[in-house]
Amino acid sequence: MMLKYGTKIVAGVTPGKGGTEVNGVPVYDTVREALKEHEIDASIIFVPARFASEAAYEAVDAGIKLITVITEHIPVIDVARFVRYAKVRGTRIIGPNCPGLIVPGESLLGILPAKYFRKGTVGIVSRSGTLTYEVSHLVGDMGQSTVIGIGGDPIVGTSLQEVVQEFDQDERTEAIVIIGEIGGTMEERVAQLKREGKIRKPIVGYIAGLTAPREKRMGHAGAVVYMGMGTFESKIEAFKKADIPVAKTPYEIRDILTKVVRK
Amino acid sequence: MKLYEYEGKRLFSLVNIPVPRGQVVRSPVHVQGKVVVKSQLLEGGRGKRGLVRVTEDSYGTIEELMKEGVNTFLIEEFVPHSREIYLSAMMDRETGNPMIVASPFGGINIEESKDVRTFVIPIDRKLMRYDIDAVEKYVGYRGLSSVIEGLLRLILEYDAELAEINPLAITENGPLALDSKVILDDNALYRHEELLKELQREKVPTDSYVELEGDVGIIGNGAGLTMATMDLVKLMGGNPADFLDVGGGADTEKVASAVIRVGSNPRVRKIVINIFGGITRCDEVAKGIVEAYQKVNKPIYVRLTGTNEEEGKKILQSHGIRVYEDALSAIGDALRS
Repeated sequence: MMLKYGTKIVAGVTPGKGGTEVNGVPVYDTVREALKEHEIDASIIFVPARFASEAAYEAVDAGIKLITVITEHIPVIDVARFVRYAKVRGTRIIGPNCPGLIVPGESLLGILPAKYFRKGTVGIVSRSGTLTYEVSHLVGDMGQSTVIGIGGDPIVGTSLQEVVQEFDQDERTEAIVIIGEIGGTMEERVAQLKREGKIRKPIVGYIAGLTAPREKRMGHAGAVVYMGMGTFESKIEAFKKADIPVAKTPYEIRDILTKVVRK
Repeated sequence: MKLYEYEGKRLFSLVNIPVPRGQVVRSPVHVQGKVVVKSQLLEGGRGKRGLVRVTEDSYGTIEELMKEGVNTFLIEEFVPHSREIYLSAMMDRETGNPMIVASPFGGINIEESKDVRTFVIPIDRKLMRYDIDAVEKYVGYRGLSSVIEGLLRLILEYDAELAEINPLAITENGPLALDSKVILDDNALYRHEELLKELQREKVPTDSYVELEGDVGIIGNGAGLTMATMDLVKLMGGNPADFLDVGGGADTEKVASAVIRVGSNPRVRKIVINIFGGITRCDEVAKGIVEAYQKVNKPIYVRLTGTNEEEGKKILQSHGIRVYEDALSAIGDALRS
């Protein structure tokens, strides 16, 4: 899928499968062996949850600077540890439990279905997978500059606020869509940055989980409210205070976008 | 996985957090003296519902509570104490570190209280004396080191998502955990098999089903999309009956069992299914829905987009199941019927 989209995949790594090929791409036993033969800027991890942490450490130790972890169900303590390990060493992790990212018309690092994206000016950042495809599809002719799914886990390598700040600096992005959900405080942090005037570009927010009960996990490990932290209401209120327009449904996002962009 | 109070207290003992002497029983027993009989339920608010009782007649109290449908009890010694505080540990999602949450007042509703502070303990070092000192100064009691250390160990070694003591009693002999609330990380249960065996707990299935109170069954693929579907039902005037995310790449069998699961809830009168396929194949989904439709026999409204969409739609239509281009019209029709 990524190959078809034009992403340059130079190597695969599967312990014990070194020396073979998949779709014409050479496979190595370790990341270091792959690095001897190729120049590598980014790595993507699909391995099962029990082995995903090790794969992340291996990529960090090999000096790769961008790692996308697609894998779901990694214990949260393990995620906290490898995210910290990577950060200290200057490696960015996206995910885990995420669909990855796409720059429409250029490259795909993940599992997003390319046909629902087109080149344009909206930067979309999301804690979700399929809902991101849906919203991108609905944004339609406006198209997207970059779409990033940061992942549905309680602790992730790259936060909503980091991506929003990068969109704010990105020349190709005119407006930003945030697809949030209950749990955690990342949406509140974005709202705070907006209030402090640290984000200039227009933002449209959507939060899933209006009808979610407390202390129940809604599919994503991160979509859970403990001790009243990160409720639907708190996020909506934070957005409103920061003058970030909120779409009640994904179907309203496009209309609100056209209004804020025209301004 | 949420643990019962007595299971949480077993874990407390393993990490040297003192708990009252007690026993777990499943039928009435006589115990000498003043005791606390505590119904073992996973829901909160037991005290308010009268399911925790101080008594000198343990036998009669258990008999009464059994009539209310409770079947497991923790009988504990009654512990006189001078004050109560609140302590818990969990991961701080913002910084990726464990943290201690503390309040000088125990037994409170921690969500509503203003007297709460968090103390982050960086994950790359161990607990230090000055961490403990800060918590002790805040709550105004010296002698919490073993409790704090124990809570932290539950997070870091036992993969607890939440370990809460509310209240922690201060007695003549030091602190004592009067209650426990422990939730373990489902994704880490595979490395605690011995503990699960000791607690006689099976690993929970990784199915995402959450039951709600309405009558419109909800199935989707992807947590965000499924939640959005639930929310849409509510905003359009209906009431969702559940949350069920079949996940990425769901096959015929998985979809069929999801539809049966949702459809077998007696409150459910109709089912809305919202599928936006990336890696999910619509024809597989359709076959699963058709298979279950014959058993469930409740109206189903399906929104289907993605890989092999046309085939999927044909399969559904040929069995008289309504298919839609977008979730709004699927839900709209479901609510009007």
